[in-house]
This record gives sequence, C-alpha cells and structure tokens, in this order.
Amino acid sequence: MNKLTLVVARSLVVAALFAVPLFADDDEALKKDLTAVIALQGLPCGQVVDVTELAKDDYAATCKDGNKYRVYMNAEGRVVVEKRK
Amino acid sequence: MKTWSIAVVYSAVLLMLPLAGCASHKAEPPVAQPQAVATQPETPEPVSTPQEAAASKPTDASPAPSEAAPAGKPATAPAPSGSTQATKPATTPAPNGATPAPKAATKTAPPVARTPTPPVRPPTPAAPAVASTAAAPLDLTALKEKLKATKAIGVFTKISLKNQVDDLMKQFSDYYQGKAKTTMPELRRSYDLLLMKVLSLLQDSDQKLASEVVSSREAIWALLSDPKKFATLQG
Repeated sequence: MNKLTLVVARSLVVAALFAVPLFADDDEALKKDLTAVIALQGLPCGQVVDVTELAKDDYAATCKDGNKYRVYMNAEGRVVVEKRK
Repeated sequence: MKTWSIAVVYSAVLLMLPLAGCASHKAEPPVAQPQAVATQPETPEPVSTPQEAAASKPTDASPAPSEAAPAGKPATAPAPSGSTQATKPATTPAPNGATPAPKAATKTAPPVARTPTPPVRPPTPAAPAVASTAAAPLDLTALKEKLKATKAIGVFTKISLKNQVDDLMKQFSDYYQGKAKTTMPELRRSYDLLLMKVLSLLQDSDQKLASEVVSSREAIWALLSDPKKFATLQG
C-alpha cells in the first residue's frame, strides 16, 4: 500500500514536470500570435507579455509598452483588436 | 540497499526528464538564411521584360492567353521560321500548351516567337527569368494550403491575414466595377504591404514557404491586375 502511494506520487510529480513546460509553451505561442495580430492591425505593442482568456476566441492582452488590447473574433469571423484602458 | 538504488534511479530520471524537455525546444531558431528570401525578389523583376517584349508585338499581348486553347491542337503547328509574326505565336504555344498554368504559356511564348528554334536561351537576362517562371508555375491552391498548414503563423494571425486578403480582394473588385476611387498603384502598394506582412511572419520560421511566396509574388499580381483573370479568381 505504502509502495503504491509512493509510485503514484512519483508519477504525479513526473506528470507535473511535463505539464508545466507544455502549458508554458502554449502560452508563449498564444502571446506570439496575439503580438502578430496586434502588429498586423498597425497598433503599438512591441510584445504581448500577458494574456487572459475572457471567453472562447476572446483575449485580453497586455503589451510590453503598457498598452492593453482586447483581441477577439466577431460574428463575421473577423479578428478585431480593441484598445482597452 | 535496494531502496537506495531505486531512489537514486528515480531521482536521476526525474532530473533527466525536465532537462530533456528543455533540450527539445532549442532547435527552433535557425539563423541567417534570409539570403534565400532576399535574393528571390530580384527574379520577378525581369519577368516584366518578356511581358513588355510581348506587348511590343501587338498580336501577342492579348491573344496569348486564348491561344493556349488552340495551341493544344498541334494541327496548326507548322511554319517554324517562316512568314509573318502573326503565324509565329500560333506555333510557339503549342509545346507549352501542355503546361497547366496559362501564365507560363504566355510568358514563354514571346522569346520562342522571335527565334524559330526552341533553344532560345542566349538572350541574356530574359531567358533565366523565363526559365524560373516556367520551372515554378503558380499553384495558388497549393500555396494557400501551405499557408494554412504552416506552423510559423498562429491561428489568430492567419484569420487576421485572411481578413486582410479578403479586404484587398474587395478593393480590387470595387476597382474593376468602378465603385472605388483607388488607383492601381495604390492597390499595388496594398498588395506589396500585405505580402510583406506575410513574409515577415514566415521568414524566420518557414523560410521555404517564404521564398515560395516571394517567387509567386509577380504571378499573383498578374492574376490580380488583370480583370479577366481576377474574375476567374473570384468565381
């Protein structure tokens, strides 16, 4: 019993070790994506440093230069970037 | 003793796993191949010269695309060096009629038309340009699929780019219908800008596709800037 618990605990640790870099990788990809989207709209940003998911296909992005944007897809399938205060 | 060795093995494995995970990320940034992208833009420029050359012959310019269809029928093929220039275009597209892209057929036609024999490579700058376009005829659907599939551009960015492409297509459509006040140079500028955006997104992570886009640049523009070809694009 004790041995089993030990094995489970170790597997959980291993899983966690794998999961953290994966999430971080996804997060970086999203930041990069949003950075590109904001730049494509010609808006100042530099680089997205923080992202919060507001809803599906709806994100709040904070830029390195302090600008904040809401990036979302509207009903017509267009990606819209709105400046937030 | 056994438990010690098991513990050591576990800790070694635990240490190795995150290290292996980190190591896998390092392969990404390949350096300094922008030359491939940078050198490509020069190739499309000479493409205009054969077109201009084609334009100099009044019969070549407009009938060339439509000639691709009769050219497929080699019955009219003869008259190699022969008589007038009017007969020459009919002979030349015949070999190129087999190629799928009508663009390549129109571009390859003029040089062959001047000299009767097929190996018309000697004319210095024009020949390589024709060769390059003939080697890579524009496959718009394949290019589109590659752009959809590339991992160099994020999903949101792709949608955003698609929006901008649609906007540009709308501008062209309005221009040809006489609805818009935009001029062709303005449209060209918008097109160049959009292409630059795509290239800037691709060039670091998918250089092969970036150079494909660059080499297709003039061919795509040729489709957009010709009302008839543009109509086929829309339909």
